[in-house]
Amino acid sequence: MGYLNNSVVTVDAILTKKGRELLARGDGSFRPTQFALSDDEIDYTLYNTSHPSGSAYYGEAIEAMPLLEAFPDETQIMKYKLTTLPRGTARLPILATKSIVTLKQGQSEAITPQTLNYLGNNQTFETSGYTFTIADARVASAFQGVGINTEEANRLNNTTTLGTNVSKTVIGTSLNITATNVNTLFGTNTQLQTTLTIIGRDSGARVTIPVTITKVN
Amino acid sequence: MSFKRFDAEDLVIASEAVSAPVWSTGDPILTTFFTSSTQPSLESGKFYYDVYQTGSTLENATVQFSIAYGDLDGSGSAPYNSSVTGKSPSSTIYGQYRTLVLGDEESTFSFGGVSQEYFYALAVDRNRYRESLLPGSFNLTLKNTGNRTLKLTDNSATVSTISYNDAGRVYQIISGSNGIPHTNINANGYTATSGSYGLFLPDVGVILLNGAALDISGTAEGIALSTTRGTTNAGNPGKLFQVINSGSAFQLNYKETVTSQFVFARIRNSEFNYSTNPSYITGSGDLRISSMLETPQSYITSVGIYNDNNELLAVAKLSRPLLKDFTKEALIRIKLDF
Repeated sequence: MGYLNNSVVTVDAILTKKGRELLARGDGSFRPTQFALSDDEIDYTLYNTSHPSGSAYYGEAIEAMPLLEAFPDETQIMKYKLTTLPRGTARLPILATKSIVTLKQGQSEAITPQTLNYLGNNQTFETSGYTFTIADARVASAFQGVGINTEEANRLNNTTTLGTNVSKTVIGTSLNITATNVNTLFGTNTQLQTTLTIIGRDSGARVTIPVTITKVN
Repeated sequence: MSFKRFDAEDLVIASEAVSAPVWSTGDPILTTFFTSSTQPSLESGKFYYDVYQTGSTLENATVQFSIAYGDLDGSGSAPYNSSVTGKSPSSTIYGQYRTLVLGDEESTFSFGGVSQEYFYALAVDRNRYRESLLPGSFNLTLKNTGNRTLKLTDNSATVSTISYNDAGRVYQIISGSNGIPHTNINANGYTATSGSYGLFLPDVGVILLNGAALDISGTAEGIALSTTRGTTNAGNPGKLFQVINSGSAFQLNYKETVTSQFVFARIRNSEFNYSTNPSYITGSGDLRISSMLETPQSYITSVGIYNDNNELLAVAKLSRPLLKDFTKEALIRIKLDF
């Protein structure tokens, strides 16, 4: 008879930028109610099913990995969430959307992602919608989530950033984006480039697509 | 699903008292003391001297505490206006601490039951004492040019009832070490006739030293500090600094209450066994590793704590990846400090 391992993994958490903002707001919005797990940094191609020592060692290269400390930027961490799915699931939820967004100055476009392989459906819209994050908010004169009418969604839609290279996140079932008309952002270039990250709020599925804005005048 | 809600018992608030040396060096005893050569000529130098652990112009110089001199009559410093006697930086300091400590503009300071008209104030830098000074940790050695040494401590170890005033807890400063009085003059560590050596005010990070007690000469009670009480700027804070510097031993700890929130993430065997990691699946969503069809596995590296709006409030990273599959459960305790 051996001793059971009853140890508890204890870790120290850091507040994210968003967490600090909500804590400072003091309106009760800093209230932990749920958690998620992620496997950021893990490269599953290191999982070696040909390991000569057998299946107990398949994950040897992954389990030996020293992990980086947490980042306070909530957009740079918890990228790849672990999900709960029935055993035997062969296909995982993925997002289907445009593979690239190319807009001319002033041009608008609506982006409506769908989730494939989720909850037994080949193709579905997630009930809680999607989060859309553009890495450089300056390239879009309008960046609005539509289709989700919660307080949070409305607040995110009304958040403005002026003149700085920061990201912006909105929530919705669709995204309406309009390319900027500001010529000075281009400098001597004819194109502006950034990325758009879409995350399914229920499934955790995630996709990042390039965004290109082409100068007209 | 990627999110799991906490149960009520998964969120626990805990408070813990932490104590440590006050000084930025991290050492229990500060042995070197420096002032700025320029401060005495500045406006602030009329009121107090900052004391550093190293040369004030060096990059790592940090104010440890300040020395001020307070006098009821405004003596020891030049009046603001020569035609208005009794109103000088020293009277300003006296009034400041009278309001802070006594809360009564009619009262005078009493050290060990003896009223005195002047004192020295050691105000510990706020960043150093965090929340409050730790009673019983105060040990200060003063040494004058005649090599007479006076060791001071607070009497928190010997009092049975804590006294309070407008500045919170108040302890008498006595001759002795580590809270134990030297009894050669007085059984309680006081002077023979000038009362105690001062007041230790842990809740406001201030130590008031009884100037009259330090000025005593000719016996082992004082160190003949020779406080000057005239109508010119006498640099009295500098005199106290000299005997502290010569004593080379100032021991003081702080006490802080750290409030932590513990969050327990309970992960059942059937949960979180699949990943949205791009290296986990192919472009169409199929599992990249065929053996995981039968025995799906994932690795936990991070735990994110969210609110109802799915906003990421805090994040914790594990020191190494934690394997998760349908045969394993995990309990992760996450500590959030405020």
